Amino acid sequence: MADALERITNLVALLMATRQPLTQEQIVNELQGQYPAGEAAQRGAFERDKALLREIGVPLDSEVLAGGDAGRTAYRINRGRYELTDLQLTADERAALQLAVAAARLADAQFGLLKLGGDRGSSPVVVANIPELPALPALREATAAHAEVGFQYHGSPRRLQPYALLLRERFWYVIGHDVDRGEVRTYRVDRLESELVIGAPGAFERPAGFDPRTTFPTDPKLLGDEPTARAQVLVDTARADAVERELGASAVLERRPNGAVVVEVPCANLDAFRSWLFGMGEHAEVLAPADVRRAVVEWLQAMVVAR
Amino acid sequence: MSVRRGPRPTGDRLRRLLVMLPWLMERGEVPVAEMCDRFELTEPELVKDLELAAMCGLPPFVDEMVDVFIDEGVVFAGVPRLFTRPLRLTAPEGFALLAASRVAMQLPGADPDGALARALHKLAVVLGDDSVVVETPPPPMTELVAAAATEGARLRITYWSPAGDHRSERDITPRRVFVDGGYWYVIADDLLRNDERTFRIDRIEACERTGDIDALRDVEVPAIDSWFADDELPVARLRVPTSGRWVAERYPTRSVEPDGDGWLIEITVASERWLDDLLLRLGSEAELQHPPEWAGKGAAAAHAVLARYRAAELDQAGSDGS
Repeated sequence: MADALERITNLVALLMATRQPLTQEQIVNELQGQYPAGEAAQRGAFERDKALLREIGVPLDSEVLAGGDAGRTAYRINRGRYELTDLQLTADERAALQLAVAAARLADAQFGLLKLGGDRGSSPVVVANIPELPALPALREATAAHAEVGFQYHGSPRRLQPYALLLRERFWYVIGHDVDRGEVRTYRVDRLESELVIGAPGAFERPAGFDPRTTFPTDPKLLGDEPTARAQVLVDTARADAVERELGASAVLERRPNGAVVVEVPCANLDAFRSWLFGMGEHAEVLAPADVRRAVVEWLQAMVVAR
Repeated sequence: MSVRRGPRPTGDRLRRLLVMLPWLMERGEVPVAEMCDRFELTEPELVKDLELAAMCGLPPFVDEMVDVFIDEGVVFAGVPRLFTRPLRLTAPEGFALLAASRVAMQLPGADPDGALARALHKLAVVLGDDSVVVETPPPPMTELVAAAATEGARLRITYWSPAGDHRSERDITPRRVFVDGGYWYVIADDLLRNDERTFRIDRIEACERTGDIDALRDVEVPAIDSWFADDELPVARLRVPTSGRWVAERYPTRSVEPDGDGWLIEITVASERWLDDLLLRLGSEAELQHPPEWAGKGAAAAHAVLARYRAAELDQAGSDGS
C-alpha cells in the first residue's frame, strides 16, 4: 500500500488545484487506487486525512452542496489562505527573530521561523523558559481578531472580549471585558475549565491604549475588595535587607536600632498577604491592623490544634 | 490525533515537506547534508520523503507534478509548479513566534526600536495586532552577569541564601542566564566549591569582575519547571484541600493526584526551612503524610511563630499593667 504521506500530499495538491469543491467520492476517484477499497475503510481514511490536514494548519474549506448532490459535503483549499504572505524580512530582522526564537526554545516558534526562511540559530547565552498551554494559540488569534470567547471558569460560564494576553511570573493571563459582568476581568489561562468557544471576528473594539499591566496590579496582595488596605509588619534583622529590596525604601515606616524594620504592605488579599508573610517564617510579625493580626494568630492556632 | 504508522508520524513528515519544498524550489539545488541539518532529518529520512514527493502531483498533467531529484549528494528542484510557497503560519506557530519575540524584547541589551521590533511589526501583517505582553523584568545585575557569561569573565559575588539565611562571597564564572517562572537565574562555575551551581540573580547583592577570563564552556539549560528536580533531595507527600492546588502550580512536583475533595501532592523538598514556610502558608487543612518523621512539622512551625506573637502580647500586657 502507498505511503500515507504520498496520498495526503496528493490530496493537498488536488484540493489546491481544483476550482470546484470536490466531494469525497470525486476525490477518491481522482486519486485512483490511493484510498482503500470498501465504503467504511475509505471513509475512515478520508476522515483521518482531513483531521491531519487541520492539525498541521492546512485551511480546508468545506461546503454542503445543493442541487443534484444536495446534502453532500465538498472540499477545496483556497490557495490565498494556504500560502504564507511574503513578509520581506531583511537579513537583520530575520537574524533578530532567529535569536529570539533560539532564546525561547519553543518548538512551534522554531518551525514558524523555518517557514519565514530563518535558520536554526546557535544556542544563545541568555534563554527563557516560557510556559506553553494548549489554549494560548487560539486565544491569541481571538484577541487579534477581536472575537469573543466563551469558557468555563470556577464552575461557571464566562463570555469575554479578550484584549490581551499577559505572561507574568509563571502564568499566562487573558484580560478583557467580561460581557456578563460588565467590567474588565483577568483570568488565568491554565485554569480555563473547558474548550474555548470562539465567536465571529470584529465583534468588539479594544479600548485605545489598553495596557494590561496597568489594569492588573503586579502585586497579588492588592487584589481584594479594599485595594488600599495596608498592614504593618515587623521584619527581623535577618530578613530586613531582602524585604527592603523587595518593597523599596518607601515602604519602611520605622528602623529599629537592632536592624529590624517595620514595613507597610498591602493586605487586601489576605491569602496572598499570609503567603508573603510566612515566606519569612518566624522572622516577621504583623503589628497592625488588629483584625489582620488576629486572623494570622487564628490561622496558626488552628494548625497547632489540628495535631 | 494522528495514527502512528512508524517512527515518524505522517503529520510531522507532511508539515516538514510543505516547508521543505518551497524552500528548495527557491534555491534550485542544495547539498543533501545542508537540507538535513536545516530540517533536522537524517539523510535516509530526507531522501525517503523527497523521493516520495517526486511521485506526487496530479497525473497525467506533467505541469502539475513535483519536480525534484537527488544526484551525487545534491538535491535538485526543477521547474517550480506545486507547493511554491510555504504553508501559512499556524496558530501555535504564530503564538510561539510572538511570545518568543516579546520575551526577547525584555532580555538584557534588547533594542526597543531595533531589528526585532521591525520584524515584529511585519509579523503583525500576517498575525494581526500584537496583544501578547510579557513581563519578566530582569533584575539590575542581569546585564552584567550575561555579559560575563558571553566573555567567560569571572565575578566575585555576595550571595544571599534564604535556606540558611546567610550571605556568602563566591567567585563564579557565569555560563548561561535563564528566566523561568518570573525569576532570573545564572548557571555558573562556583570556583571555590569546584562545582556547577545555579544562582538566582535577584539574590546577588554585590558583584564585580575579578579580571580573570576563563575558557568558554557550554552548559545545558534545564527544561521548564524541571530544574529543581534533584534525585538526592527528600520528597514529601502532602494532602491539601482544593484551595491548596496552587502548590502544584508554583513548585515542581513529582506527582499530583486528586484525592476526594483535595489533592495528593508529592513535592521535592529543597530545605526543611522551605517546607516549614510552605506548611505555614497552607494552614491547618493541609496534612503532611510522608515521611512520618515530619508528621508534626506544620504544628511545630506554627508553634514557633505563635510563640513570638504570644511574647509580644505578654509584653503588651506587662506594660499595660505597670
